[in-house]
Amino acid sequence: MLKRKMIKNFGWPLKTAMRETEVTRLYPEVMMELPENERGIHELDATTCIGCASCARVCPNSCIEMVHFKFGNPLKNKKMQFPQIDFGRCMFCGLCVDECPVECLKMGKKVVMAGWERKDIVKSPDFLATKRFTAKEVADLEAEAKRVAAEKAVAAAAKKASAAKEAPAKEGAAKKPAKEGAAANGPAKKAAAEAKPKEGGAA
Amino acid sequence: MTNASEVLSSIQSAFPGAVLDSRVESDRRLWATIDSKKILDVCKHLSTKLNFDHYSGAAGVDWIARKEMEVVEIMASHGTHQVVAMLKVKTPRENPSVKSLTGLYWNANWYEREIWEMFGINFEGHPELWPLLLSDELMGAWPWRKDYKGYPDLTTGERAVKISTPEGYTEYHIPPTPAEVEAGTVVVERPKYPTLREREEKEIKSDSEMIMHLGPQHAMVPGPFLLDVLVEGERVHKAFLDLGYIHKGIEKIMENRSWLQGITYTDRMCYVASLSNNECYCGAVEKILGLEVPLRAQYIRVILEELSRIQSHLIGTGEFLTLIAGVGYAPWQYMIIDRENIISLIESVTGARLTHTFVRFGGVRNDLPAGFADQCKKVLPYMKSRTEEFIELFAQDPIYHKRMDGVGIIRPDDAKRMGVSGPPLRATGVAYDMRKEDPILVYPELDFKVVTGTKGDSADRIDVRLREMLESIHIIEQCLDRIPEGPIRTEVKVPKKVPAGEAYYRVEDPRGEMGMYVISDGGDKPYRVKVRGPFYATFQTLTPLLEGTYIADAVAIAGSMDGCPSEADR
Ligand code: SF4
Ligand code: SF4
Repeated sequence: MLKRKMIKNFGWPLKTAMRETEVTRLYPEVMMELPENERGIHELDATTCIGCASCARVCPNSCIEMVHFKFGNPLKNKKMQFPQIDFGRCMFCGLCVDECPVECLKMGKKVVMAGWERKDIVKSPDFLATKRFTAKEVADLEAEAKRVAAEKAVAAAAKKASAAKEAPAKEGAAKKPAKEGAAANGPAKKAAAEAKPKEGGAA
Repeated sequence: MTNASEVLSSIQSAFPGAVLDSRVESDRRLWATIDSKKILDVCKHLSTKLNFDHYSGAAGVDWIARKEMEVVEIMASHGTHQVVAMLKVKTPRENPSVKSLTGLYWNANWYEREIWEMFGINFEGHPELWPLLLSDELMGAWPWRKDYKGYPDLTTGERAVKISTPEGYTEYHIPPTPAEVEAGTVVVERPKYPTLREREEKEIKSDSEMIMHLGPQHAMVPGPFLLDVLVEGERVHKAFLDLGYIHKGIEKIMENRSWLQGITYTDRMCYVASLSNNECYCGAVEKILGLEVPLRAQYIRVILEELSRIQSHLIGTGEFLTLIAGVGYAPWQYMIIDRENIISLIESVTGARLTHTFVRFGGVRNDLPAGFADQCKKVLPYMKSRTEEFIELFAQDPIYHKRMDGVGIIRPDDAKRMGVSGPPLRATGVAYDMRKEDPILVYPELDFKVVTGTKGDSADRIDVRLREMLESIHIIEQCLDRIPEGPIRTEVKVPKKVPAGEAYYRVEDPRGEMGMYVISDGGDKPYRVKVRGPFYATFQTLTPLLEGTYIADAVAIAGSMDGCPSEADR
């Protein structure tokens, strides 16, 4: 009785061994199939990132640093600051992805990132960006950005000027800030004036 | 059935004036501030008259602005009623001291020791106020007080003084800076207590006895802890536990992280139970915020938590088999292969294999991917047949039974008294499961049994785990049938700052009762998070359980508890 049961149990691995398929992963020759939702290395859409640094603020490990990167959209990202991620510290929690207001940060299926030194796994926006503008597109966008900035400055100056005109009609308390505003506008106006011819030349 | 207001009025009528402040949050939660002089009497009343036979833990809170400290005793019952009483005792911040409950509840020992070493709150009448998690250097620094500034600082390396000992070793001494001494971060005066070694040596009664170390690095355990056994021949006379080898101070870290960031830390308390830890923390915060979780999200959470229970039980059982070796290695491999299927299922939803950071306040991170249900329908029946096969294998193997039957028996009364929970408790025959006791999410609508054992020995604990997997599969199948369409996150915008309040939330972790006590002071970070882990409670029972057993059984007993020192240490 005892023996029979034991033999039955010893037979079980044999039986299963015949039935099982291969389980050893053949990495790195064959990468296992990863699901769509995989949280691997980040992918940055540099054309839409607005440089708000929300991702950097929410990261529990402070592994995101905002750095300069050329091939983004200067219209939306005025200072051209993009996230750089230190994968030595990243734990792939995905909070940065959730927090991004324009959904330009994603996590993809790439997971290989080994390097010889610590600095090798600090990945710049250049590495992360899956979508980016070409140098020419960036130049065009920059020009556009300058034009928009100039227009805005002119509009603001005009508004301030009209506000300043209206100000004397109002009470004394309101006078001071309005005047200050007008004064502050002075340099801005000048800058706008300077920007305009330049832009014209570029065009 | 007793509810919270009845409990409150019973205390008030028995001890007029003892309740200084109270709040009945729901039928199941009572918050009361008890006069510190009366706490022992009130607890005695609760346990003898009102069936509060489950001392679930205690938390310390440092209210630095109010210049007082608080000890919150968490009391519940093993199924007689569902009220959880959170009894607070206040004590001034200068010389904080409260009465110890160790005389009433055996398992209060560790909880109070932890509060003592972290906050410096003295427990009058506690027999063993010795450090539990902290190392000797930090004793007396009271690191979880709010005015603790950190230790050591960044200049420590520069200040280190090299000393060569007569034996030829090199040691380093790090003198504190005057600023540190002033700030109180460096311990100038340490409390007096016997070291572990002194405690052990005191117990050696004769020449034939000796101390044997199992750990901190030992094949027996998935994480480091020190188990010293005092043996005479093959017999264990006494066991000593030393933990804290991977004390990460997660509770303190979470006080310094935003509410959202805290989720990532709950993952790391125990990686095989990370989803239920997520759930526990998020559930507590949702309670404070008063958030409703959409139905679909609730189902997703249940599905994933049950999947994670299956994979946790698989690894727990498999690991146990390697510990008792002999019968073990083949099934361990098979269990790991099967577990891979489950892990892949979870990964296809969360995108991570172990540390999921998946549950969010008021919902979940991702929806189920297309084809998830089909995949489940492929994997679950297979898992079911495999689990049934495992159960049969274990049941019929005579060698296994010769080895395991009657080893490490816990009787139901002892299990209740010692505060064990999860499979070790249910193996004794006590049907105590948070999914029934303190139902959350959609669990009340689902049909499942609480699996119990009869003997409470090691074999039973394994059997309970295996049969629980079948129940989990049953739960997931129901969920997949019923899951509605809809949003996966609440429409309400989750604020960055959580309004002031507190909540205690319990979930059934694969290892038992996991509870989190979260306090908010209205800021963007938690004021205090207390984690009441299941293995911490089970761990504590190991020392009495090992007394009188054979050395060879020590491993079988400890292994059958499915330990996770990482979660016990936090
Ligand atoms: S995944 Fe998490 S840890 Fe990594 S960069 Fe994003 S927020 Fe930071
Ligand atoms: S990636 Fe998203 S969150 Fe980060 S800076 Fe760009 S827009 Fe902001």
